[in-house]
Amino acid sequence: MGMIEARNLRKTYRAVQKQTGLVGSLRGLFHREYREVKAVAGVSFTIEPGEMVAFLGPNGAGKTTTLKMLSGLIHPTSGDARVLDHVPWKREDSFRRQFSLVMGQKNQLWWDLPAADSFQLHREIYSIPRAEYDETLSELTDLLGVEKLTKQAVRELSLGERMKMELIAALLHRPRVLLLDEPTIGLDVVAQTKIQRCLKDYHARRGVTVLLTSHYMRDVEALCERVLVINHGALIYDGPLAGVIERFGETKLVKLRFEGPPPDDLESFGELVRREGPFADIKVERARVAMVLAAILERSVVADVSVEEPPLEEVISRVFEEAEAAHDAA
Amino acid sequence: MNPLARSARYLRILRALAAHTLSRELAFRGNFLVKVSVEVLWLAIMLAFYKVVFARSSNVAGWNEPQYLFFVGCFFALNGLIEMLFLDNCNEFSELVRTGDLDALLLKPIDEQFLITCRRIDWGCAPNVFMGSGVMAMALYQMSWRFDPVKSAAFLATFACGVAIAYAFMVLLTSLSVWMVRNQSLMEMWWLFSSLARYPKEIFSGRWAEPLGMFFTYFIPILIVVNVPANVMVRAFDPAMVLMMLVATAALLWISRRFFLFALESYRSASS
Repeated sequence: MGMIEARNLRKTYRAVQKQTGLVGSLRGLFHREYREVKAVAGVSFTIEPGEMVAFLGPNGAGKTTTLKMLSGLIHPTSGDARVLDHVPWKREDSFRRQFSLVMGQKNQLWWDLPAADSFQLHREIYSIPRAEYDETLSELTDLLGVEKLTKQAVRELSLGERMKMELIAALLHRPRVLLLDEPTIGLDVVAQTKIQRCLKDYHARRGVTVLLTSHYMRDVEALCERVLVINHGALIYDGPLAGVIERFGETKLVKLRFEGPPPDDLESFGELVRREGPFADIKVERARVAMVLAAILERSVVADVSVEEPPLEEVISRVFEEAEAAHDAA
Repeated sequence: MNPLARSARYLRILRALAAHTLSRELAFRGNFLVKVSVEVLWLAIMLAFYKVVFARSSNVAGWNEPQYLFFVGCFFALNGLIEMLFLDNCNEFSELVRTGDLDALLLKPIDEQFLITCRRIDWGCAPNVFMGSGVMAMALYQMSWRFDPVKSAAFLATFACGVAIAYAFMVLLTSLSVWMVRNQSLMEMWWLFSSLARYPKEIFSGRWAEPLGMFFTYFIPILIVVNVPANVMVRAFDPAMVLMMLVATAALLWISRRFFLFALESYRSASS
């Protein structure tokens, strides 16, 4: 049995359609119009214990709604889910003790007090034994390098520091399942890297099961081997990260350094993305890479060559565009 | 977890929450002091007003001056206790729903109603409880009251019931925020509650007032919240009224609890 299981999970909202202007508002008092919004349209997947999985999709694709159903915050319209063998929306204490949801855009610490006070309250609510609490807190503050900041009022911390404190609060009770909703949103590269490292270390030490949504592919590449891609509420890919590139990355980047100036007809092999001095980078269809390389090597003297996969951002963007086009066509 | 251990855990958490909110209040000392000063002034105005009334009349609706003084103290203490423990929390609920900040509270392994309605203690209202108690003590002294264990126990029980009834009404109105999102009815209700509860129910006499008094005694029992404990202590001990209060308390707590849980099932959580 998986640690997280979703079976045909659906969530449909009724959204009020507000008419513009004063007359529209007055009319809305007596007659309201609603639109049905299918936030999640039958999502199924299983995540095994200890897996770290990325949940990707454009804004409004249904990622956060799915996470909210899996954490028990909202009830699904239909379908079923099991997290840690519990039905999440029953919100049993035994379930809530074993998981955490971190939302990058939400704050759960007491704003006017030092984070240490919030951690203490957290200890009481989760009934964490003192020794275990001290050990985990020390481990986490050390991992994130925030030992000296826990006694400073949360409102005085930078966004990155605050996010680190949020992460500590989420991990203090040693959850077995961790749901992360854009944990690095708005952070600089240094803070992002620190949080990635902390999550990686913590995952290696404690074997926690993680489902992560992020718009930063750097997070995904650093942490996850498996990817779920969702768009318009439906799952369009579930498989290894490398598979996404394989399936949706239509081109590879061939980087060449010539002994002399690059030949003039490089455009005939693919899209020429850079031409500077002896350097030339060409985007070539995956199936033609070997053929193109052979042709160039036959005609020119090449000092160095490398073939790279396209950046993940580009591939994911293509996935979303294709899904969008398919949805519009349907 | 057995009920005793569970109660002990909740008391520990309440103590921790109380300590946290006190730290927070003390961080904004000026605000705290202004709030306390306003409450002291408010009590002084109320007492001065009743002093003026009793300077011209020996009783109001059958209550003599010390009895009425006790009633005022009882109202002030009870009102202060409710404002201190629940009003801010319940009032903030619609904002939690609107912004989605409720999510963080719902994820904690603890009773949602407890955490939402008790998480912040408004220490600025704590002096009201002491001042109200002081006024009650002064009234008892003026009437040369002798300690009566039965009356005292009945007073404490009905006082607690009064707090519970007011809390249940608050929870009922607060729960509506899940659907309404913007909900100002709580403060309106609290104004109505304060206005009705601060007078003896005997003032509702006459052709139009009597049905109104009956309505707010038996249908929406706001009038019994202060009247019954004050009556029990300094006037007639009416067992039927005490029993009615106990039944009303149990029923309202149960109804408000069911309604709150039903409302949470409809919670949509704001978009992130």
